[in-house]
Amino acid sequence: MVQTILSRLATSLLVIFGASVLVYCIMYLLPGDPVLLMLDPSSATPEMIENLRVQLGLDQPFYIQFANYFGDMLRGDFGKSMINSDPVLPKILEHFPATLALTALSSIIAITIGITLGVLSAIHRNGVIDFVARLVGLFGISMPTFWTGILLILLFSVQLGWFPAMGSDGFSSLILPAATLGLVGAGFIVRMVRNSMLEVINEPFIVALRAKGLSERAIMYGHALRNALIPAVTVIGMLIGDLLAGTVVVETVFSRQGIGRIIADALMAKDLPVVQGVVFFTSIIYVVLNLLVDISYSYIDPRVRRAVRT
Amino acid sequence: MNRSISWMKYMALAAVLVMVLSGCGAAGGSTNGAAQASGGDQAGSAEGGNLTFALATSPDSLDPHRSGLAVAVRAIRTIYDNLVVQLPDGSIKPWLATEWSVSEDGKSYTFKLREGVKFHDGTPFNAEAVKYNLDRVIDPATKAANSLALIRPYSSSEVIDEYTIKVNLESPSQAFLGNLSQALLGIVSPTAAQKYGDQLGKNPVGTGPYTFVKWDENADIVVAKNKDYNWGPETVENKAAPHVDTITFKIVPEEATRIGSVQSGQVLAAETVPPQNIAALKNDPNQQLLQANTVGLPYTLFFNLRKAPWDDVKVRQAVQSAVDVESIVKTLYLGNYERAWSALSPGILGYDASLEGSINPDINKANQLLDEQGWVKGADGIRAKDGQKLTLRYVDGSPNREKRNDIAAIIQQQLKQVGIAVEVEITKDIATVIYQNWDYDLYGNSQVNSDPNALYAFYHTSAEGQRPTLSGLSDPKIDELLEQGAVESDADKRVEIYNQIQQYLIEQAVILPIYVFPYTVAASKKVEGIKFDSLGYPLFNDVRIQP
Repeated sequence: MVQTILSRLATSLLVIFGASVLVYCIMYLLPGDPVLLMLDPSSATPEMIENLRVQLGLDQPFYIQFANYFGDMLRGDFGKSMINSDPVLPKILEHFPATLALTALSSIIAITIGITLGVLSAIHRNGVIDFVARLVGLFGISMPTFWTGILLILLFSVQLGWFPAMGSDGFSSLILPAATLGLVGAGFIVRMVRNSMLEVINEPFIVALRAKGLSERAIMYGHALRNALIPAVTVIGMLIGDLLAGTVVVETVFSRQGIGRIIADALMAKDLPVVQGVVFFTSIIYVVLNLLVDISYSYIDPRVRRAVRT
Repeated sequence: MNRSISWMKYMALAAVLVMVLSGCGAAGGSTNGAAQASGGDQAGSAEGGNLTFALATSPDSLDPHRSGLAVAVRAIRTIYDNLVVQLPDGSIKPWLATEWSVSEDGKSYTFKLREGVKFHDGTPFNAEAVKYNLDRVIDPATKAANSLALIRPYSSSEVIDEYTIKVNLESPSQAFLGNLSQALLGIVSPTAAQKYGDQLGKNPVGTGPYTFVKWDENADIVVAKNKDYNWGPETVENKAAPHVDTITFKIVPEEATRIGSVQSGQVLAAETVPPQNIAALKNDPNQQLLQANTVGLPYTLFFNLRKAPWDDVKVRQAVQSAVDVESIVKTLYLGNYERAWSALSPGILGYDASLEGSINPDINKANQLLDEQGWVKGADGIRAKDGQKLTLRYVDGSPNREKRNDIAAIIQQQLKQVGIAVEVEITKDIATVIYQNWDYDLYGNSQVNSDPNALYAFYHTSAEGQRPTLSGLSDPKIDELLEQGAVESDADKRVEIYNQIQQYLIEQAVILPIYVFPYTVAASKKVEGIKFDSLGYPLFNDVRIQP
């Protein structure tokens, strides 16, 4: 087990490095000159433009720029924002907790609603609960997040006045954005869990368990759900990654602070150091998530654990 | 079996936890919101309180000299003062400068400065400070943005005595004094500017009615009342310290959220109300709608005159006749925006009101003009000449700010009727597409400005090595008029000069003026005294929050 984790960690480092290189190349090749974006196009003289380019090291060849960047990064220096000279690392560390809180709460909402409704709808197939669950699933998947967000604001802030419409002050302001993202996630999980539960329910071993006289409840939660969860966990792992990406939209709609908004602004402004820094951090999160998903397999499914041991 | 049961317990526990937490959150949230909304609650008096004001975008910097965004001015105005102030009628009045004289040749200004003014950090305001500021703007190390264009043709300044300064220009400029009133030439504390360098924008220090408290990126900017303030300009009633204790500028880019947060009482005021919400807000008994037209260049579409066939005035006039600006503005802004008729917006010196109603849509005329120029309709309905299709590349640089992308879409439909194919490209990378590669036929822009000299940067033949103008216009007659307009000291003659320029631009169809942008603020009825300066920017000196 330890060995597996270690080897996974090694590949993870490669993945993070690869992601950095890839993003650096994409940003480098994208049309648009960051220097021109930084200066006011109507008043900057060609001389000012050139000076700034030299100052930022953008006149150097690509490989030197990349080597400089990567070297600094290994030393923990992620550079400064090209737009407002803010150091990148403190900026990310400052905004990361807000995004993590949003992702965490929306994951909890998505998983709770998703698994509960998914299981219930499979058990009560074609009943009212099933109908509701499928509706939630469809709604979550098909509604664009910004639309859901605005609907929630209209209902819960403007009409009912229960939650603030925007901002990042305290837990109350986290509810609506997390619910917005959580609904999307729940949509996917409901469908996934429902389908795999239905598949499992029809398998021979369930029939065998019934024949043995086990209670329906024990069969469903003790055996069927456990088997159905394996594909669901994979989806949930990927989904948390999606939720992290979804924060870009949700943080903008709800005017929250966070990594999502930082990267959206940085991409618009072609602010290379900031984009790089954020990508580096998010790729770490993705890798860690994947690792956790893999480890959780072995807990849910003994076959995986045995395979790992041998 | 055992494990799965305990696992279910954890799930249930988590679910309960979430519910409990969200319950707490709801309670906390509503009290919190209520506290914020009634920030001005102070037993019958309208002193104190916190004005929460939602901004549509995030300011780039609170260093006036380095900022390039109009949205930053809302906050910059509260922190900094200027040497002079411009009244809505265009006249210039004292502010930090109490009086001034202009030399015979119009190239130097001598300002007497107000005594006893201190920056928020205690630095005394004097001639040295003013010299430091003006020199700072033209210093390349400052990386000044829009302020650099405003300060031209500044060359140097001399400290005469503690409270007297002589400012020298390279050439006379009628726009200079007005420009000194603009927030981007606000006076910053020299001590702070030296201390913070390029971080002054995050640690702003001025002499203004409010002092900077904090700026949480993408969340809010907080300023607090400057108790020592007593040198307010003529544009406000309250020359002394503001009535409210603090202003919190919340950054809320999503318009539905912004309006929602005013309606829910989470903020007391929000800027830039989308046209579709204006009617509803006007009918809301708890809300008021404040509106001020911005001054300068209205939103205008510029033809790129250096690209064929747009160098042909007849083809441009055909487009001018085919585009129905009236219906565009009515359709998109529901009667809340004024249609623009000229290269300048109403309210600015020299605005030519005679152009109003001068150009009306005329499809027959458009077709006739294009026929005359040899553009023949093909089977697909698109005109062609010498095997070349008549296509117009329409570039827009904003993700539908003020529905500008929709303008493009409507024009595309309208021009299709006369056989012109319009390719619309929306790109954020204006610097490359427009200013570097010149890869457009039609591109829209607007500018807030207090002086008609703003036209110079858009229509004067660009000098060697300088960035080309948006229109690419190069006409010696217009160049001469623009040069005269910049220096003419007789106001009537100046008006005459700018009238001629505006008429030429419409007759020659160099541009298609579209709309005058109104700066709109939705505010709770509890808020009183939000005023607007001559450019349409909000002023918060007189604000009171009624309990």
